[in-house]
Amino acid sequence: MKAKTVEKKRKARDDSSDSESDDELGNGLFDGVLDASEDEGDYIPSDEIEEDESGSENDGSDGSDEEDDDALLSDDIPSDNEDLSKMEDLEIAEPGVDPKRTEADDEGRNYRIEKDANGGERYVYDEIDPVYDSDDSDAQGPVNTIGNIPMSFYDSYPHIGYDINGKKIMRPASGDALQSLLDTIEIPKGWTGLTDVNTGNPLNLTDEELELVRRVQMGLAPDDLVDPYPDTVEWFTSKEEKMPLSAAPEPKRRFLPSKNEAKMVMKLVRAIREGRILPYKPPEEREREAEEQEEVHFDLWQDEEPQAPNPMHIPAPKLPPPGYEMSYNPPEEYLPSKEEREEWEKTDPEEREKEYLPTKYNSLRKVPAWGELVKERFERCMDLYLAPRVRKNRLNIDPNSLLPKLPSPSELKPFPTVAQTIFRGHEGTVRSVSIDPTGVALATGGSDGTVRVWELLTGRQVWSVKLSSDEPVHIVRWRPTKDAFILSAAAGEDIYLMVPTHSSVTPGLDQTSRDILAAGFGYAANGQQAAITAGKEPAGKWARPGTKLEDEGVLVKITVRSTVKVINWHRRGDHFATVSPEGQRSSVAIHTLSKHLTQIPFRKLHGIAQTAAFHPSKPIFFVATMRTVRCYDLQKLELIKIVQPGAKWISSIDIHPGGDNLIVGSYDRRLLWHDLDLSNRPYKTMRFHPKAIRAVRYHKGGLPLFADASDDGTLQIFHGKVPNDQLENPTIVPVKQLKGHKVVNQVGVVDIDWHPREPWCVSAGADGTARLWM
Amino acid sequence: MGKLKKKGQAGQAKNYMTRTQAVKKLQLSLPDFRKLCIWKGIYPREPRNRKKVSKSSTASTTFYYTKDIQYLLHEPLLQKFREQKTLEKKISRALGRGDVGDAARLERNAARPDQTGKPRYTLNHVVRERYPTFIDAVRDLDDCLSMLFLFANLPSTSAVPAKMIARCERLCLEFQHYLIKSHSLRKSFLSIKGIYYQANIQGEDVLWLVPYKFNQRVVGDIDFRIMGTFIEFYMTLLSFVNYRLYTSIGLKYPPKFDQTMDDQAAELAAISLEGANLATAGETKAITNGEEQKIDPKVQAQVNKLVKQLRNEANGEKPDEQMGEDGEDDEEKATDALDKFEPVAPGGDVLLQPSYSGNDPSQLFSKFTFFLSRETPRQSLEFILRAFGCKRIGWDPILGEGSFTTDESDPSITHQIVDRPVVQAAMDEEEGDGEDNQTSRKLGPNQRYPGRIYVQPQWVWDSVNDEELKSPELYAPGAALPPHLSPFVKPTQGQYDPTIPLEEQQTEGEALDAEIEEAMEDGDEEAGEESEVENDMDVASDNDDEDEEEGSDGAEDEEEEEEDEDEDEALERQRELEAEISGKAVKSKQLDAKTKANLDKKKALEKKKKEEAEDLERAKGMLSKKKRKLFEQMQYTNNKKSAEDVKLRSKRRKLDKEKAAKKA
Repeated sequence: MKAKTVEKKRKARDDSSDSESDDELGNGLFDGVLDASEDEGDYIPSDEIEEDESGSENDGSDGSDEEDDDALLSDDIPSDNEDLSKMEDLEIAEPGVDPKRTEADDEGRNYRIEKDANGGERYVYDEIDPVYDSDDSDAQGPVNTIGNIPMSFYDSYPHIGYDINGKKIMRPASGDALQSLLDTIEIPKGWTGLTDVNTGNPLNLTDEELELVRRVQMGLAPDDLVDPYPDTVEWFTSKEEKMPLSAAPEPKRRFLPSKNEAKMVMKLVRAIREGRILPYKPPEEREREAEEQEEVHFDLWQDEEPQAPNPMHIPAPKLPPPGYEMSYNPPEEYLPSKEEREEWEKTDPEEREKEYLPTKYNSLRKVPAWGELVKERFERCMDLYLAPRVRKNRLNIDPNSLLPKLPSPSELKPFPTVAQTIFRGHEGTVRSVSIDPTGVALATGGSDGTVRVWELLTGRQVWSVKLSSDEPVHIVRWRPTKDAFILSAAAGEDIYLMVPTHSSVTPGLDQTSRDILAAGFGYAANGQQAAITAGKEPAGKWARPGTKLEDEGVLVKITVRSTVKVINWHRRGDHFATVSPEGQRSSVAIHTLSKHLTQIPFRKLHGIAQTAAFHPSKPIFFVATMRTVRCYDLQKLELIKIVQPGAKWISSIDIHPGGDNLIVGSYDRRLLWHDLDLSNRPYKTMRFHPKAIRAVRYHKGGLPLFADASDDGTLQIFHGKVPNDQLENPTIVPVKQLKGHKVVNQVGVVDIDWHPREPWCVSAGADGTARLWM
Repeated sequence: MGKLKKKGQAGQAKNYMTRTQAVKKLQLSLPDFRKLCIWKGIYPREPRNRKKVSKSSTASTTFYYTKDIQYLLHEPLLQKFREQKTLEKKISRALGRGDVGDAARLERNAARPDQTGKPRYTLNHVVRERYPTFIDAVRDLDDCLSMLFLFANLPSTSAVPAKMIARCERLCLEFQHYLIKSHSLRKSFLSIKGIYYQANIQGEDVLWLVPYKFNQRVVGDIDFRIMGTFIEFYMTLLSFVNYRLYTSIGLKYPPKFDQTMDDQAAELAAISLEGANLATAGETKAITNGEEQKIDPKVQAQVNKLVKQLRNEANGEKPDEQMGEDGEDDEEKATDALDKFEPVAPGGDVLLQPSYSGNDPSQLFSKFTFFLSRETPRQSLEFILRAFGCKRIGWDPILGEGSFTTDESDPSITHQIVDRPVVQAAMDEEEGDGEDNQTSRKLGPNQRYPGRIYVQPQWVWDSVNDEELKSPELYAPGAALPPHLSPFVKPTQGQYDPTIPLEEQQTEGEALDAEIEEAMEDGDEEAGEESEVENDMDVASDNDDEDEEEGSDGAEDEEEEEEDEDEDEALERQRELEAEISGKAVKSKQLDAKTKANLDKKKALEKKKKEEAEDLERAKGMLSKKKRKLFEQMQYTNNKKSAEDVKLRSKRRKLDKEKAAKKA
């Protein structure tokens, strides 16, 4: 404890010694002053002086030093430490009193008394703040009056100039070490480090000045009071002028009502009257009103006038009414079976015949909503405006009324109905059949290259010869007279004429036949010579076929340039025509039996020749190409007529025994009847076969029959009566379809021939048989 | 030589134009063109020769008649469309500028029929142009009504605004009111798609479809804009038609519409009719239920009495009716009948008979009071009952407002329409209590108020279609209903008709086939079940007894037939007996003899058919190509139809046989 107190003591002593040393300085200087300051009330000036002293020495110094001084001074001898501490306490209490007093003193007057350079008293007044309305116009006039001369002139003098009163302004003390020291210690507020040139005092700046400097630095207006954005003062616009700016008299229009305005107003008035402009209403109210008055009810058809319907208008068809099956509780038989239901479900909804399945609900409450209803209505809408409409006349007639009334076939008898005899023996297709003019024998030619002769009624083969080993016999035809028994056949490019042995052939008949065939050999030499002299290949080479065939009865062989497909005899039996479709120019040839002469009548043919025939009574020759049938007059050697059946590919033709009618069979399944007197176009087109027609043939023995043979394996027999009266049309009635031949390689019946007298016919089929139908 | 004609300058080429050309000519957008076509009734056409019409190589799909398009050129609606178009342009431009206020103002001015249901234009002139006379409009009402009734039942969506639906509903109700008032409803049919109604308005038959009251499912890609366009036109049309119809029977149009009632699902009762002038005002009120309730109790009692009597009469014809179900009820009726027939018989008969026999079908239900159970379709039943003269219809309060009574125990009710299954277990007990339950306390399931006829809804429809009251026991609750047949089918020759017995309509060949088949089956059975012959016989005798019973009910013809059959059967039985004695062989031979005859017949028939086919073939070959094509086409459709009929007949035969087997 003691040590501590000792330390304290020493400290206090130190402090006191310091203060004493300070005081010594002070005491040395201001002794008398301090005495004077004892009675403050009486000696105010002395007090002032003392204050001035301190103030002048250190302007902004805090009063603590002074008070320290005061405190030390007030107690003369600080004898004891305790006293010292007491004194310090007192010290602390004092400052509160003392400055107050001085301030109160200061407020009473606006000047201070200072010591001037000479030591005399000098009243220094407070600076007057030069506000705008102060009447001090030259407040900060220059204190130094020397004017604008260099200050160096006064360097040698103690003063630096003169004031307004002519007194010298003394040079302020400078270079005072203590002062400079103090200056370095504290830089007072507003210190600039500069010296006022005019006064020589350090130039300190006040707060206002500092603020001003700051503002200038920042580029603002220097004065705080200047408002950069003042409110505009409207001197002329809002203020009513007492006096006119122009002295011109008021124009007349100012006093008259405007016509233009009147017009505008009238326009508005009219609009209001007409109800185009309505008083404003809030939108909700307007909407409500519109709703109320929207529905206008009146009789639209008040003055209706029935109009004739527009002929071009097609009204939309109504939807069909619902049937039994659409009922919610239909009769049981309308309900679909399991298979039907499955099938319905399997098909695409677009392709279903009915869009619903009949369903039975045993109670109305179980019927659900129909899911497709909206869609159905929509589709109906689409149909109404998008479906193209077309007027279709529905034929509400019995379809049977379209059918022609045909007489019953039983009235048109006789005609062949059943297969009586079947001729078997040929290997492969039977290509051609022919019944001899007497009606006893049947000749057939087949793909196997043989020609066979059969007894017609029994079907017994009586004679056969193999004409060629590799070529099929395309055609066999009897010479159409009864005075001889001559058969012609064609295999490849060769045409053979033969006299078959047959039970009905008497030796006399046989001899005549042989004579007829042999008669031409003399001419043949001539013909050949002529051909040779012309240096041309002959159209046909007539020769003997060789001993082997001659023994069989084949007596003459004619070789032409290409494969012969058709042979047709003239009714007298002296000429026959052959057609070889591939032969081009020489495809049609006419052969004369008596002269062994072959001629080619056409230099040029229009199209590929299919078949050719002689007119039954007149010297007319028919040639059928693929599309047309041409008729030539053999006497005048000219074209008479071109018959156009309209078929794409004619297969065969036949001429009615009367000579005025023609039937044409075509590969495009049609059978065409031409009346040659009537037109070039067919009189009747018949379509009975689903396959091509291969052959057509009239009955030549006076019966009104004709038949065709088709690739579908059937024969169609017709009743075709040509009336004697020219004006009447022929009657054509289909009477019977004969079925029996089998179809082999899509070939059915190939050829057909009628019996010369009876209503029998023979057909040749691809199945290797020939059949007699009766 | 005349001037050479250029291709495409005259004739068909000028008469038709493609849709693109039409749109270009009218300077419209395609949707606007579509609208215009729908309203004006312009439709594409199929030119006679497409090649001559179109100059382009590609096949154009639609052609319009040039004069139709020219006619559209003068349409005042075109101007409206153009105005609308410019307005849309302005709005879009304003929006592009970002000027929302301006756009909103323009938008406010724009009429948006798709939102408000109210366009700035009216279609009045279009209706008048399309239908120059009122009858023309009525003739074309089918689609209009079907569409409006459908829309009245649609849920409202953005595409179908609620206002539109409400308007459709109202128009439909107004139309129904006219039908009720004028008694012009003729027929109705419950189909799986909905309910078809047929009315005769001023001599024109109008047929339309009303969906069942369920939420409609909207499936697939349906463009409601197109339907909406149609609806817009149809609404205008029907409102004018309604006006004309109402004024034609002296009613004021529009009738008073009670919004609050409508909100409570009163449907028909929400609209009350008013006479056009004061004189008729009182009379027209009769349609609603309100007036009926004020009826003098004496008169009501009289009516009730008459009705009861009438019903008893109906019951009298079929004495055995309802025996199985509620015998107690019947007893009561029987006693009533006895009491009342004696004093009133002569006068009553004269008075009642005509209305009962259906002299005036429109007053079919006028004497009855109906009560609809809550499971029945109220809207359709109410409409159809009212249309056929019924004045007093009550229903369960669940079914909505506007009923005559919601009290099921109301004594004035004569008919109750129920559609609920019968609960079997409770039956017997409840019947005993029948008499105690006459008070208004709730009845248990299956219990019946005495003196009331219970029927299923189909009874109403069948009665209406046949224009006579069907016997109610066929339609009793829980009974298997007779098939509901479409009244719109007109019988044609050779077509299958379910109402006629099979024997009268089947072809000879079919009958033979059926017999042969039957004989074969019988033969098989008997060969298999040799030992059971006796049993079979017993069964057969039972059959006979039943047949005889039925015979007393049915027509005399049937009886005769059955007698014949009986004879046949007797003969056969004789043969069988003999066969049993002599041995198997004889019997089989005899069986063969019968079938043999049938087979021979069949063979003859087939032969004949073959000949006919041949004849047909011959004749067909002589036809020209054009005629043959036509013939084949006709033949095809005919064959198809007849094949369908044959199928139906065979199904029916099978069903009949099954039924007979079940009976046996």
